[in-house]
Amino acid sequence: MTVGPDGSDGSERSAGAPAQTPGDLPEAAVRRLESTVFSSGLTVPDFAACLDLGLEPVALVQGFCVMQWGWYGQGSGYMRGLSPYTGGPQSAGSYSETYRCPHGFVSNEHRSWGQNLEQPWVEAAWAQGYGSAYQRMLEEATTHGAHGVIGVVDRVSSVADTGTTEFHFLGTAVTVDGGPPPAGGVPWSTYLAGQRLTKSIEAGFMPVAVVAALASVRVWAYCMTEYLMEGSMSWGGPTGPHLVEQVSKAHMAVRQLARKHVRQQLAGDELHGATIDVVARELSQGDEVIDCTLRGNRVRRFKDFDQVELPRPTVRLA
Amino acid sequence: MSTGFSPGTAPPADVRAEMLLGAQSLATPAPPSQARGITSDLSVDEALLLHAAGWEPLDLVCGVAVVSVPVGVWNWGRGAISLASDAHDQAVDQAAAQLRGECSKVHGHGVVGVRVEVSVRTHHVDVELVGTAVRPMEGQDPRGADAAQAMPFTSDLSARDFTLLQRAGWMPVGLAFGASFVYAPRRTAGTAMKQTRQNVELTNYTEAMYSARESAMEKMQRSALHAGGQGVVEVKVTEGPMSFARHAVGFTAWGTAVRLVAESHQFVQPQVVLPLDDAVVTFEAESLRSGGQGRGRKR
Repeated sequence: MTVGPDGSDGSERSAGAPAQTPGDLPEAAVRRLESTVFSSGLTVPDFAACLDLGLEPVALVQGFCVMQWGWYGQGSGYMRGLSPYTGGPQSAGSYSETYRCPHGFVSNEHRSWGQNLEQPWVEAAWAQGYGSAYQRMLEEATTHGAHGVIGVVDRVSSVADTGTTEFHFLGTAVTVDGGPPPAGGVPWSTYLAGQRLTKSIEAGFMPVAVVAALASVRVWAYCMTEYLMEGSMSWGGPTGPHLVEQVSKAHMAVRQLARKHVRQQLAGDELHGATIDVVARELSQGDEVIDCTLRGNRVRRFKDFDQVELPRPTVRLA
Repeated sequence: MSTGFSPGTAPPADVRAEMLLGAQSLATPAPPSQARGITSDLSVDEALLLHAAGWEPLDLVCGVAVVSVPVGVWNWGRGAISLASDAHDQAVDQAAAQLRGECSKVHGHGVVGVRVEVSVRTHHVDVELVGTAVRPMEGQDPRGADAAQAMPFTSDLSARDFTLLQRAGWMPVGLAFGASFVYAPRRTAGTAMKQTRQNVELTNYTEAMYSARESAMEKMQRSALHAGGQGVVEVKVTEGPMSFARHAVGFTAWGTAVRLVAESHQFVQPQVVLPLDDAVVTFEAESLRSGGQGRGRKR
């Protein structure tokens, strides 16, 4: 999925339009936001570092989105890709790889076909939930006339066992003392705060946005994958340890896709402090669903890297 | 809105000026760029340190391999479970090869800060390696650019440790792995009965553990030699009975194989400091993250 949490298509930070019209804020929220008291989620050291940097905290801003995942059974709109004979990718440019059984016809139960399939509809649904929560946080920040949001925390969690997922963003909206508003009025954002943000700025990297993407790959195991993942040596399979090519390739592909999706949001900027989380759910008979989430800080270099003196090693006596 | 705060001491003017510069850079839309942006999982500190040492990050790179373990391997037997060890070795080799392949693709000379995840399951061994490809900024590599790109080093050392190692005249050459799985021999029925009411060492398990350890450490050292290393630093070990087969014990060891590239070891001569700060408040930018949700680097 190429749409980032900032709503950009990778060309520029185009999230500005919806963030300009915070018309759907609850009345209580508007009242709270009009208060002259500032709030922030910063620790005291972060708060002090923020003031030193010329950033004034204005409000603790948040965004939520609760998404229900659609039914994946027969008749579901999400059913695409379930037929083993449709073959091919689910949308132009998406990942798909097929495997053929080397045994010929054996029985109806024999898995003569296998496929690794990117699930763009899962990625799009995740991006929708994540992006909506992010936009709502930015919308609150924009209401305050904030220039940026620092110390962003995002959380994706399940709501009970209902197949429902909550996306939650939280951060401290700030203004840059004497600084111009960002292009389009869309606040910049970063997971960093305090000294880490200061060091990033000193090094010449200005935060642009937090970026994230989910990549999802479904493994439809063919017979050899099924045998290997279950330790079986049926039908002329190898007698010793053997690379499970289909699953290994799926794992590599999901990580490459996540990086590709995030890179599409960078538009030539850099990604710092990336974290990669992979969840693999083994279904049965070698089938798996592998989800990979990649997050990080999109930063833009605004000056040449200052030469940093090699730090002097020290030994603490404490 | 104003915070009403006016700090008594003036903040460093240059930091504020740089913040303003940064804000101004975002005040106008960036021109369209086809540049392939750099991605890295390094922290700001690590990126700065690498830069100070003359290296730059290039790309986040991965290597993953899943290798099957044939059925019956974990059934009770005697001695080493060589098929499981072989599966582990194969998975590690394959994942490392993929990691180096991705590094070479982006013209990296090596991978630092590799996060190693090894999962030994009943029927397969999964290995995941994730790190940041790096290269010297001036293209200077003691091994030569072509050789370095042809065989990039891999290392689970943090950028800080990598910098310090390099300063001492050493370079990482690769990850060294060793694993061994051994059956704990059965006690005879008589011995088991006799020991039922005793506080006694189960020597079969102790011996199995020693046996697994010797074999794994030897493999790791052999792996380091094969990579051209003279030693292994930051060795991590995992050991204990397998969760799915309590009669088998496993021992895995891995670390970064290193080689002296200077004529001799360079003494770092650290400065001794006595910190006077109160260690009560520690800086944690991600302190808002709830338990288990944190995505900070854990090193």
